[in-house]
Amino acid sequence: MVIIQALINGVLMGGVYGLTALGLTLIFGVMKVINWAHGSFIMVGMFAGYWLWTLTGIDPYLGLIIIVPALFLLGYFVQDALIKPVFRSEVGVREPIGVLILTAGLWLFIDNFALLLFGPFYRTARTPYSGLTYDVGGLLISAPRLYAFIITIVAAYVLSTFLKKTRLGIAIRATGQDRDTASLMGIDVYRIYNIAFGIGIAITGLVGSLLVPFYYIHPQAGFVFDIRAFIIVVLGGLGSVPGALLGGLLIGLIESVGAQFIPATLTQGIIFAVFLGVLYLRPQGLFGFEKEW
Amino acid sequence: MQVKEEKINKDKFARSFRSPIPILLALVAVVFCIPLVVKDPSWLQLAILTMWYAYLTCSWNLVGGFAGQLSLGHAAFIGIGAYTSTALYLHFGLSPWIGMFVGGAFAVVAAITVFYPCLRLLGAYFALASIGFAELIKILTENTTKIFGIEIRGPRGLSIPPLGHAPFHYQFVNKAYYYYTILIMLLIAWFITYRISKTKLGYCLSAIRNDVEAAQSLGVNISKCRLMAVSLSAFLSAIGGTFYAQLLLYIYPEAVMGIMLSCELAFIALIGGRGTVMGPIIGALIYVPASELSRIYLSGGRFLGVHLMLLGIVVMAVMLFQPGGLMRPIGRVYTRWVKKLEPRVQKV
Repeated sequence: MVIIQALINGVLMGGVYGLTALGLTLIFGVMKVINWAHGSFIMVGMFAGYWLWTLTGIDPYLGLIIIVPALFLLGYFVQDALIKPVFRSEVGVREPIGVLILTAGLWLFIDNFALLLFGPFYRTARTPYSGLTYDVGGLLISAPRLYAFIITIVAAYVLSTFLKKTRLGIAIRATGQDRDTASLMGIDVYRIYNIAFGIGIAITGLVGSLLVPFYYIHPQAGFVFDIRAFIIVVLGGLGSVPGALLGGLLIGLIESVGAQFIPATLTQGIIFAVFLGVLYLRPQGLFGFEKEW
Repeated sequence: MQVKEEKINKDKFARSFRSPIPILLALVAVVFCIPLVVKDPSWLQLAILTMWYAYLTCSWNLVGGFAGQLSLGHAAFIGIGAYTSTALYLHFGLSPWIGMFVGGAFAVVAAITVFYPCLRLLGAYFALASIGFAELIKILTENTTKIFGIEIRGPRGLSIPPLGHAPFHYQFVNKAYYYYTILIMLLIAWFITYRISKTKLGYCLSAIRNDVEAAQSLGVNISKCRLMAVSLSAFLSAIGGTFYAQLLLYIYPEAVMGIMLSCELAFIALIGGRGTVMGPIIGALIYVPASELSRIYLSGGRFLGVHLMLLGIVVMAVMLFQPGGLMRPIGRVYTRWVKKLEPRVQKV
């Protein structure tokens, strides 16, 4: 029973990890860039949701309507103003890591700016459903985690339909497959990059506000998700949408089931060990989907 | 005839400035005198930390710069060095002067078994793998209280009982001793990177960095070169870890193995100029005093985290405007100065 409970918790949390990784993998799939500041944007989303709730009383789920577009715009302009110039200067370089470093700088800046503004305090938002649990045959399911999981699945479905069906989605995929050919087909590649980065950051905003009801809010809270998302996208194969979701579930399960047998801090070690093992043996990722979107 | 010879000699003199040796000698002369003038231990501590970072970045540069593999996991080697020498000292009473070589050997073993296989990964993948490696070692340390009966006390860290002035046990009261120790270490590390950049190994590494396949087709032994760079880098980093443990007499996993330390080394190298001989020193001279002073005067009080915020801005600005690091503009000014010297000599 305890194990089943742990499995459920693992799946619910894994969905959130998977969604985080989805944003990262979208950015990587299109731009071939690893966004170090990914977790920081989650933290931005968390604080946005938190302040909306405490100051104006707007429910974190309702706040999504404001936060997601706002973070899309933020991502769009960060990409346009900061990443694009570095990206352009590195077009011919074999292993472009300039953008990686730039986003690492962005990560330091955002996290510590939040620290300066909000202080090193752990905050929690007390929403009416924060402590609410559903009792399903003796198994306790936390309501906000369940909602987060459902929204995650919906968001992943919407995103993959968008990428498959709409003109813009097809343009994004085309740019990811072959930038030069895409630009020959009349696609404004840098605009597509802006949009892809914007979508990735909008997803972090979504994750951030979903976390508000049940997670602690702290300037460095995003970093946990940063490292997790890196591991997940490598596990699932960089650039693969189903891989990101499955990798997220796997990490969530390792974390919660592992904690039943060994100290919780050591489960982090297992995650890193799995990660290194996958990198040695299968650098293309566990599931081996090669750009299946 | 006499004049001509003199001209050639002076020409040679001017040309000799093209290598970084003369400025370095001048710098060393100045740096050697600092403890004679500055007696305040807090300023000496700042100078020591600057040189410590410069030393570590020099050794980082062997992998991150010359071999062109962005490592964000070097803190693991520093931690291995610090923990090995300290644990051996506390448990067996082995002097850290000997323990640091044992730590270096352990770091080399770790580098060869875990780090080295990652090197075939490219770019961002390698960076992620190196983070995974360092975090794994940190987590294992945090969750271990005893290893083979030797206490390492998990997250609480190890503290070394102060003995006062005990040169044999690598402990000094006067900071000047630490100052000269790290200065000599820095000179050795710098000289190693300088020599490597001028020898076959350096050329092979830069060939690998530019194009792996082309280097391979020209008969460069890729694994051997990378293996040498990584082992040397790990060894030097571990010895730097021992120095840190002896300087502060207290180590804990987050301080000596944390991801922040690894990132700092990479940032210093990037600010100064990755893969250049002088880059790490210039980077450390810019970064460490700025960071330490803003940490003391700003972050200590109301403005928490300001020093890291500034670091973030500097890193972004360098990547946007000077992707090759600040070494390049400084080097340009320097060569202009040398060139100015040359025609003046010829006029004689």
